Amino acid sequence: MSASTDKTVTLPAEPPLVTGNLGFHDITQLVSYHTEKRPPSVWYMAIAVSSTLLCVLLLMIAYLVWNGIGVWGNNNPVGWGWPIVNFVFWVGIGHAGTLISAILFLFRQQWRTAINRSAEAMTLFAVICALLFPTIHVGRIWVIYWTLPLPNQMEMWPQFKSPLLWDVFAVSVYFMVSLIFWYVGLVPDLATLRDRARNAFRRRILGFFSLGWTGANRHWRNYEKTYLLLAALATPLVLSVHSVVSFDFAVSIIPGWHTTIFPPYFVAGAIFSGFAMVMTLLILARKIYGIQNIITMDHLEKMAIIILLTGSMVGFAYITEFFIAWYSQVEYEQYAFLNRATGPYAWAYWTMMSCNLLFPQFFWIKRLRRSIPFLFLTSIVVNIGMWFERFVITVTSLHRDFLPSSWDYFNPTIVDVLTLVGSFGLFMALFLIFLRYLPMVAIAEVKMVLPESDPHYYDQHESGSETN
Amino acid sequence: MISLPVIGDTPADSRQKLWRSRPHLDQDPSLLEQVSEEFIPGASTAPTGSNRRHFMQLLGASMAMAGLAACRRPVETIMPFSDRPEELIPGVPLHYATAMNFRGTARPLLAKSYDGRPVKVEGNPDHPNASGSSGVFEQASLLQLYDPDRSKTILRTGSPVNWEDFLSLCQRFQTRNRRVAVLATPDSSTTRARLQAQIESQFPDTRWIDYRSEGDDVETLGIQMAYGQPLQPVYDFANADVIVSLDADLLGPHAKNGTLNTSSFAQGRRLNGAQDQMSRLYVAESTYTVTGTMADHRRRMRSDAISDMASQIATALGVYSGASPDSFASGIARDLQTTNGRCVIVAGETQPAEVHALCALMNHALGAVGTAITLLDTGASTQLPQSQTLPALVEEMQAGQIDLLLMLGVNPVYDAPPELNFQEVMGRVSDTVHVGMHVDETARASTWHIPLTHYLESWGDGRSWDGTLTPIQPLIAPLYGDTRSEIEILSALSSGQYTRGYDLVRETWASVLGEEDLETAWRRVLHDGYLQDTGYSSVTAEPAFDAQLPESDSSLELVVRLDPTVLDGSFANNAWCQELPDPITKIVWDNVAVLSPKTAEDHGLVCEYSKGRYYADVVTLTVNGHEVELPIWILPGHADDTVSVTLGYGREISTTRPERDTPFWDTDDTTDIYARGTLATGVGTNVAKLRNLLAKPVSFGVQIAATGRKWTIVTTQDHGILDTEARPLIRTATMEEYQADPAFALQDEAPTPGSDVKTDFSDYPELWKNQHPAKTPAFRDSDYWQNQWGMVIDLNACTGCNACIVACQAENNIQVVGKKEVGHGRELHWLRVDRYFITEGGEDLDADPQIVMQPMPCQHCENAPCESVCPVAATVHSPDGTNQMIYNRCIGTRYCANNCPYKVRRYNFYNWSKTIPETVQMAQNPNVSIRFRGVMEKCSFCVQRIRQTQKRAGLETRPLHRDEVATACQQACPAEAITFGDLNDQESGVSQAMQNPRSYKLLAELNIKPRVSYLARVRNPNQDLEPAGSP
Repeated sequence: MSASTDKTVTLPAEPPLVTGNLGFHDITQLVSYHTEKRPPSVWYMAIAVSSTLLCVLLLMIAYLVWNGIGVWGNNNPVGWGWPIVNFVFWVGIGHAGTLISAILFLFRQQWRTAINRSAEAMTLFAVICALLFPTIHVGRIWVIYWTLPLPNQMEMWPQFKSPLLWDVFAVSVYFMVSLIFWYVGLVPDLATLRDRARNAFRRRILGFFSLGWTGANRHWRNYEKTYLLLAALATPLVLSVHSVVSFDFAVSIIPGWHTTIFPPYFVAGAIFSGFAMVMTLLILARKIYGIQNIITMDHLEKMAIIILLTGSMVGFAYITEFFIAWYSQVEYEQYAFLNRATGPYAWAYWTMMSCNLLFPQFFWIKRLRRSIPFLFLTSIVVNIGMWFERFVITVTSLHRDFLPSSWDYFNPTIVDVLTLVGSFGLFMALFLIFLRYLPMVAIAEVKMVLPESDPHYYDQHESGSETN
Repeated sequence: MISLPVIGDTPADSRQKLWRSRPHLDQDPSLLEQVSEEFIPGASTAPTGSNRRHFMQLLGASMAMAGLAACRRPVETIMPFSDRPEELIPGVPLHYATAMNFRGTARPLLAKSYDGRPVKVEGNPDHPNASGSSGVFEQASLLQLYDPDRSKTILRTGSPVNWEDFLSLCQRFQTRNRRVAVLATPDSSTTRARLQAQIESQFPDTRWIDYRSEGDDVETLGIQMAYGQPLQPVYDFANADVIVSLDADLLGPHAKNGTLNTSSFAQGRRLNGAQDQMSRLYVAESTYTVTGTMADHRRRMRSDAISDMASQIATALGVYSGASPDSFASGIARDLQTTNGRCVIVAGETQPAEVHALCALMNHALGAVGTAITLLDTGASTQLPQSQTLPALVEEMQAGQIDLLLMLGVNPVYDAPPELNFQEVMGRVSDTVHVGMHVDETARASTWHIPLTHYLESWGDGRSWDGTLTPIQPLIAPLYGDTRSEIEILSALSSGQYTRGYDLVRETWASVLGEEDLETAWRRVLHDGYLQDTGYSSVTAEPAFDAQLPESDSSLELVVRLDPTVLDGSFANNAWCQELPDPITKIVWDNVAVLSPKTAEDHGLVCEYSKGRYYADVVTLTVNGHEVELPIWILPGHADDTVSVTLGYGREISTTRPERDTPFWDTDDTTDIYARGTLATGVGTNVAKLRNLLAKPVSFGVQIAATGRKWTIVTTQDHGILDTEARPLIRTATMEEYQADPAFALQDEAPTPGSDVKTDFSDYPELWKNQHPAKTPAFRDSDYWQNQWGMVIDLNACTGCNACIVACQAENNIQVVGKKEVGHGRELHWLRVDRYFITEGGEDLDADPQIVMQPMPCQHCENAPCESVCPVAATVHSPDGTNQMIYNRCIGTRYCANNCPYKVRRYNFYNWSKTIPETVQMAQNPNVSIRFRGVMEKCSFCVQRIRQTQKRAGLETRPLHRDEVATACQQACPAEAITFGDLNDQESGVSQAMQNPRSYKLLAELNIKPRVSYLARVRNPNQDLEPAGSP
């Protein structure tokens, strides 16, 4: 590659990314095996619970569409309640996947290969959950297509100044690019599964989706070029989508929303929550499917460090907001933040602060970074905290704004709660189906990071032993 | 199709009974309905609603009445639309002058009718004794007409009978030896007076009582005590420099002459320049009233201490020797003496007649009679107090000396003092006839019930406050066939025959107008709505006062007042009134026992605010052994050791309307306020029971005991003390400060970074600078561009009486959502009146806070923050500068409501317009869209009125006249606090008002450029009582 090929330079000893002395076939076997055998009984229990929750979600949506938005707790000052909170929450979670697969890919972070497939799948499912909420939260869902720029006889276009419209574009483009990126990465692995398939039906389906992959040199060349291009395309989207979501708030004039810090702060928060969710899912999956050697403790520790970093960034943003409110000398702005910390929703604010700012600070301690129970606990706590962050931003800013006469309190209803719970059902059901039918680890990519995949690996190892 | 329950009633037959089956004999209503039809259901009628024939009949009948109201004798034939009644153009409204009886006075009105259907009432602007404005109850009276729970059939002991059956009862009474007693609502009708005289001559021992729910008519009795005759005082507050109110809620929506009082009071408070002067109002009152909010000096005190205050002022004035005056009383007295008779002292309805008499004496001594007060001779004979006549009548009833008790529009079983045992005593009278709009408490206790017509469907007349003769003409044929008007029933009783109301009124007026050219004169009267120069004549008389003022008490007192939203309960089944926030407490759908913070603390009572609702302690109030349970309410500024309650709640009205029952997944039955029985039933508690035999409004020795239970109270507004320093929403100054700097309001602008005070925000960069709609050729080239609409609201005039809210509701088809949904913060009022308490110095609630009202419609910002965030362009700017909601385009993201800094946008969380009963559908304004669920709505500046006026001008090929367009709130406002018009016209009222130095725009620093300006509030304190500089 470069001209300087000084062999004396030694890289710091990286711990092996795959442990347990696994060979190429072992990895194929370890990952593919789960899509071919009967799933473990835990899977059946999980899918039963998830699909029950999914049914609850569908029932809640039916109830909502039949009766109207009034079944939720939204009221006059608080026009946006839980649905928008859930939307931002799920979009945030949907950030980690593309970040891991695109940005870390461009930065040549090879440890990403163990987790990128499931993280990307998680992204897609989280974005599906996210797209659900703005769709159902409108009062007249049957004309939701008016938000799309469809040609019509009235020559009536959407209103392009509205951040909500930007949202429609940003989130749907993000979803589409993430889907393509994920699928392209899947092609070699689908071909592997196809080749292992025992029955004709399975082979045909996998054959269709593996697009005639034979592992030819030309295929690999095209594949890698495409993957690189898609990674480059997805990278700005990772930053843009949550920036645009934050515009929903930042472009308005409501104290507590009208803040220029929102785009970076939302992106940091999104990565924060996304990594937490990946961690929750993978801690369970690696245990249940016995792939601790592929998704190793080192992977988890790296994720913990990213959580610590982004959590501190988010915490810094919280404090900056307060400083700016004081510094601006604007009464409304100051009150909005004071009200968050001391008003009727102070409990939500302090939940957010402790979950997002304080709790991740334990990751300064290496022992805790490598403790599975603590990592699992933190990943859950961070997601609770991040849900509350969105709740605090959405509800506390709205419930008391300029004119004290219109101040009111927001109470969620049981429908609000069940819709959120139901959306987890949707998310989990999709993820479980993914685990059941698709390779949860990018087989081809993991193989690439094995020392054995270095073309000169055997030169050194075999010849070295002979000459010595 | 609208189907009306008019036709479905089944008259019972007293002849031989033929029956088919047991259910038939038992009169199973559903079977009876089938039996009465010739064919099986569905065979001859349309599947839904009434059939075409019935509809056309009704329509035709309405047309006939409309034609008749247009100065013709009624021709009761069915008129097909092909033969169009004269003057009727479909879609073009007709206005008719009529009037409404309100607490004994005719309030002149102008009613608007679309295709034979009255949809709106306004004050009659041409009437010599009306300002063209109207109050809460005139506006809400429209919905009374369409009340789905109105009584529809004549009942005898609960079963339907015919009008002929009642006539035969009247005929049996055509002998002289029967004893008749009449309890009637106070009414100034000359026709009724004529019939009363007829009945009194026919039945010599007739007992006739003008029955008032609130008890004695203390104002008249007081005047009578002073002058020896029941004169009618007319207060001209515009002509008074000092006004003293002694517990008198002169400006309240329920005041007898509240509309005119407010109008003349506001005239005396207008400030256009630094040189202008305004009147000074002193108020001593026990509860906080809208009059109290306008006070320059307000002293809260127990109701019974107010007679003492009157005595102190009188002593200081030297007309009476009572208690030695304190600084407040002597300050008032000195101020009064400097006015040269340009002053008024008024006592309130809670005060005994003696205080009223003393006030009359003081007014006379100050020379106010003749300047600010005119005394009119109504020609009425001396009045006996109801507290004497009613117990006497009950005694006679008890003794079996009364053969027939006729109750016209009154409800004594509900509101008579409990000692009278009215319901029980009614059983001693062989025939008790109740005439009312509902099958209410009294109707159920009576042997007869006759449904009463509404004033918009019956003929009548009355006298306005100054006595001007005013006709009442109907706009629609009675919705229900069995309904009769009061005069028709009185005439039936006296003659044994049915005479139509029209003939009765004509007969009366023939004697007034003279036989010569009667028809022309009559048409003129109907057209104008009054007869010129028929007012009462003014008199001068010398008052005398030798009565003893009542001793004041020290025990806990209870004051019973009429309710500012449902009056005495006659408006309790009116959805608009129930959902109308109390002007001061902002409570909806409830009545409460109001206490001061200190009294509540003394009794260990609390009213906790939690999560948008109040949880109030329920207490048992015990007076003279009568108990009533009520939730409490703590009101800063309320007097200590006194409890205020209002009448009109705890009604029990029967209805035949079926309940709405929907499956569990459908919320219609919980969101529809009409779903479960009548609206009034179960709302609040009847406090009339707390009054003793004399039905005095004030009782002593009240025991108050917590029950340990809590009751959820719903208000439209959070409680809150406003710190005026930090949020300059309401801007006030004293008269002195105003004179020093008339533009003081601009000095109060919110501090903006980089400058101390910024008053001009034109250098702020605009968002979407080049694409601003107002800069596009589509706007500039539009004809609508010629007019730029704007509004100015004068906080110095606004009393917060709520008339605008109801007017807006009637005009714009605003639905009612019920207590639960208001509790969720989902009320739909487009216009709200914000109430702020203002305390200066300290957070001490016990200190007297000032209350300031601020009406809050959509501000129609030029840089509207709602418009830029809508993803589908459902809210856009019009070329004439209004912010419009396009309901059809709205998908309901609610982003606009979030981004509205005034929070004036209202969202249809449920399909409230879907469930409204058919009769209420008739009350909807056809020019305003009914909003579907999921759609945002808000104040439109009454765009339908703008367009209609423009259309009319267009048809007449002329430009709009100056100030030709009036919004509904502006038209109703008795204080003329709202000015609306074209900002492009420098001479228009609104442009002039915006030039007012007090003008400021709310939240102008957000650079949203609101089109509504407020004129800051100025207080005019007495330097003696409040030296400048002291807080």
